[in-house]
Amino acid sequence: MPVLETASFGNISFTPESVFEFPRGLPGFEDRRQFVPVQNPQTAPVVFLQSLEEPSLCFVTLPVLVIDPQYRLRLTDPDLEVLSWQAERQPRIGQDVLCLAVLSFQKSGPTANLLAPVVVDLNNHRAVQAVAAESGYSLQQPLFPQEAPLCS
Amino acid sequence: MLMMSRRQGEIILIGDEIEIVIAHIGRSRVKVGIRAPRQLAVIAHEMKLVGEENRAAAQPPPADALKALLIQLQPAAHTLRSQADESSVRQDAGTKN
Repeated sequence: MPVLETASFGNISFTPESVFEFPRGLPGFEDRRQFVPVQNPQTAPVVFLQSLEEPSLCFVTLPVLVIDPQYRLRLTDPDLEVLSWQAERQPRIGQDVLCLAVLSFQKSGPTANLLAPVVVDLNNHRAVQAVAAESGYSLQQPLFPQEAPLCS
Repeated sequence: MLMMSRRQGEIILIGDEIEIVIAHIGRSRVKVGIRAPRQLAVIAHEMKLVGEENRAAAQPPPADALKALLIQLQPAAHTLRSQADESSVRQDAGTKN
């Protein structure tokens, strides 16, 4: 099993089949094509996307359905092509694709990029960050808009 | 900002080398053709914003911020686990050594 040196997790081992392939990279990181998902029970449901090519590059993501159970995924034709998606219908979150929102830690609290989720075909592990320009979803959706007191 | 009214099929020129064609006007969207020198990047504005957002997101989170997030997510974590059991979502994960 290959071992990867990372800044966030030390050395991790992974199976080559688990690697997500981004044929076009991600916006801002066009030459980073391979990421391995890192999950563990202590940090569930967070999924870390660790770059294979850059040890210090790691995105913190959450499945979009954790953030918005009603989230509607609508991929453009070019994005479907990146995934090699053949069917006429749109892929379904959970059954066909993994759909992850990239988190960003602002001073005001964590936000999720629902405008451009990372979509991974569960069959071939091809992946794309799909910009849903007309969806109305936010680039910086606050995760906890109203801070509820943890205990009363 | 310079504002210009154009009809379908009409063209706007920027300098000598950039040509913008109003190719089609639909009910709520406009199809625009752009002819520009190859070395000029032509992208939708959202793409640039997502790139900037990714760069911000690539900064390692403060340890306490991640911890606070995980505490907040506890209830969500439980629902996710039960959902994952139902739909048997396949998620291959790297494992920690």
